[in-house]
Amino acid sequence: MQDLLYFFQQLINGLTIGSTYALIAIGYTMVYGIIGMINFAHGEIYMIGAYTALIAITGLAALGIAWLPLILIVALICAMIVSSSMGWAVERVAYRPVRGRHRLIPLISAIGMSIFLQNYVHLAQGSRNIGFPALIDGGFNFGSGDGFQMSLSYMQITIFITTLICMTALSLFISRSRTGRACRAVSQDLGMANLLGIDTNRIISATFVIGAALAAVAGLLLGMYYGSVDPLFGFIAGLKAFTAAVLGGIGSIPGAMLGGLILGVAESMTSGYLSGEYKDVISFSLLILILLFKPTGLLGKPEVEKI
Amino acid sequence: MRTSVKKLVTAVSTSVALMGAGHAAAEIQIGIAGPMTGPVAQYGDMQFSGARMAIEQINANGGVMGEELVAVEYDDVCDPKQAVTVANSLVNDGVRFVIGHLCSSSTQPASDIYEDEGILMVTPASTSPEITERGYELVFRTIGLDSMQGPVAARYIASQSPERVAIVHDKQQYGEGIATAVRDTLKDAGVEIAMFEGITAGDKDFSSLVTKLKQADVDYVYYGGYHPELGLILRQADSAGLDARFMGPEGVGNKDINTIAGEAAEGLLVTLPPAFDQKAENQALVKAFEDKGEDPSGPFVLTSYTAVQLVAEGIEAAGSTDPFDVAAALREGTFQTPIGTVEYDQAGDMKSFEFVVYEWHSDGSKTPVN
Repeated sequence: MQDLLYFFQQLINGLTIGSTYALIAIGYTMVYGIIGMINFAHGEIYMIGAYTALIAITGLAALGIAWLPLILIVALICAMIVSSSMGWAVERVAYRPVRGRHRLIPLISAIGMSIFLQNYVHLAQGSRNIGFPALIDGGFNFGSGDGFQMSLSYMQITIFITTLICMTALSLFISRSRTGRACRAVSQDLGMANLLGIDTNRIISATFVIGAALAAVAGLLLGMYYGSVDPLFGFIAGLKAFTAAVLGGIGSIPGAMLGGLILGVAESMTSGYLSGEYKDVISFSLLILILLFKPTGLLGKPEVEKI
Repeated sequence: MRTSVKKLVTAVSTSVALMGAGHAAAEIQIGIAGPMTGPVAQYGDMQFSGARMAIEQINANGGVMGEELVAVEYDDVCDPKQAVTVANSLVNDGVRFVIGHLCSSSTQPASDIYEDEGILMVTPASTSPEITERGYELVFRTIGLDSMQGPVAARYIASQSPERVAIVHDKQQYGEGIATAVRDTLKDAGVEIAMFEGITAGDKDFSSLVTKLKQADVDYVYYGGYHPELGLILRQADSAGLDARFMGPEGVGNKDINTIAGEAAEGLLVTLPPAFDQKAENQALVKAFEDKGEDPSGPFVLTSYTAVQLVAEGIEAAGSTDPFDVAAALREGTFQTPIGTVEYDQAGDMKSFEFVVYEWHSDGSKTPVN
């Protein structure tokens, strides 16, 4: 019973972290699906989302507003607006001018953008860890009084529910809306979609904006869950989310969700049953194995070289 | 376009070269190398503020052998790679005395370069024993060693007769070194060590670790590392309902841990150098810091002040600015400093240095416990 509770606790830990990886991974996978480039600045967009949310929360607290749902919604909206505009601006400044060139060029441009944004936040906000106020406290406890108690915090429940809502909304948007249909068309064949009258520039911008908005959601959630933010916060999370996207099959949205969850659970199980030191070893070995045996990732479609 | 770029490059490099030449006046350059940015910049602030104050006061009293001390500051971000770059630029700038570095993992690679290039280094903060174990002639410190700090912490934990203790570290030279010292002393004392495990510095999610600590049912957790990670562990442990007492080395003892951990920092145990700013004979110096709007209570402020003072007194005693002569003078002399009477052994360690156990509070204050 004890061991079972322990297992479930680690599973919950893994799913919590995994669902936020999935939120960030969507941004990588959508951009790759549409223009075939890896947006390395995406982790920084997520970090900026977390900082914006923190600034909004601090600002509201200074105004004396204490009603939690209002604080969360305002912080979320601020973070999404700032991150989305950043995502849009990054695409306009760093990627659109070099689109269609050799594929290394946008890649380098993305890395440059990532370094720029990281250092910009270093300068603007300082390099120290800034604590995030614990807004959502408490949770449920399971298990007997003296033995191991499994806890499911309200924060974890918030993360699950928010992720679920975002993912459902995104799936509906992609499958039902006009812009979503255009997104799918552009990802199948950019040139053809253009000929058929789809404003591909607008669709590509929309992809960056959507990815950035989801990353901002993850920024707020993880900022509150972990408890602090720093300018390097996006880099590591971005790396993990990128791994999740590749694991699930880059270019595939369900793949990113699955990849995120698998990565999160693999990490927490490794820390739980082996040692935290091997956490990254196991997750990246998993990635290498999947790429060896299924190069397109779990749910990816084999890429047909278009002539 | 091309030519104008070329001209610009030439102009910039010429002016840089000229700026470099400007340094070569009759003054003694003191390099201060530590983190101005990065996750542990808080400690860098202590180091720079202490060293600047010492240089200011020494200059106000007529300098060293009639020459003025000039601070040259370098940012190593507490990153070993950056520390090597900094060490090389110190060599290029012709600096011959360095106060720094701060993190042991930066100090170690940088000290190789200083020793080779004949630069005297005094670190005010690096506690890893390996730094002075290599028989270097030009390496000194104004702080104790992990091998002294670890046992103090371990003896305190053992005196509380805990049932099970977990030891966690950040796999870096400082953190793992001190964690190992704690483990060994606890083992000798017959305390059961339920866990000895590393985490990755820079990580943010410690939920799995906290779950494991809960499962292991430990009553003490020793953490070897710095505050950004311990702050998060404390906070995540608190929200997961882990009931254990945490303890850490001086690398966790600063007010930033309160902004990260909040209330969860209450009751944390920290081994720190004794509060030099509380000593009666240092009150004039403390006031000088306060007049400048600076806080002298950080663990590395007065050790950095002392490091500069020792370099200055070493130069006076040797009657020369040759780093080797100064090093010999430091090994021979006895110096009265704000951190007490300093005497060096052959390795460059102080003959005595004590650590004290403090209890940390959620408002950032601390009280001694033994």
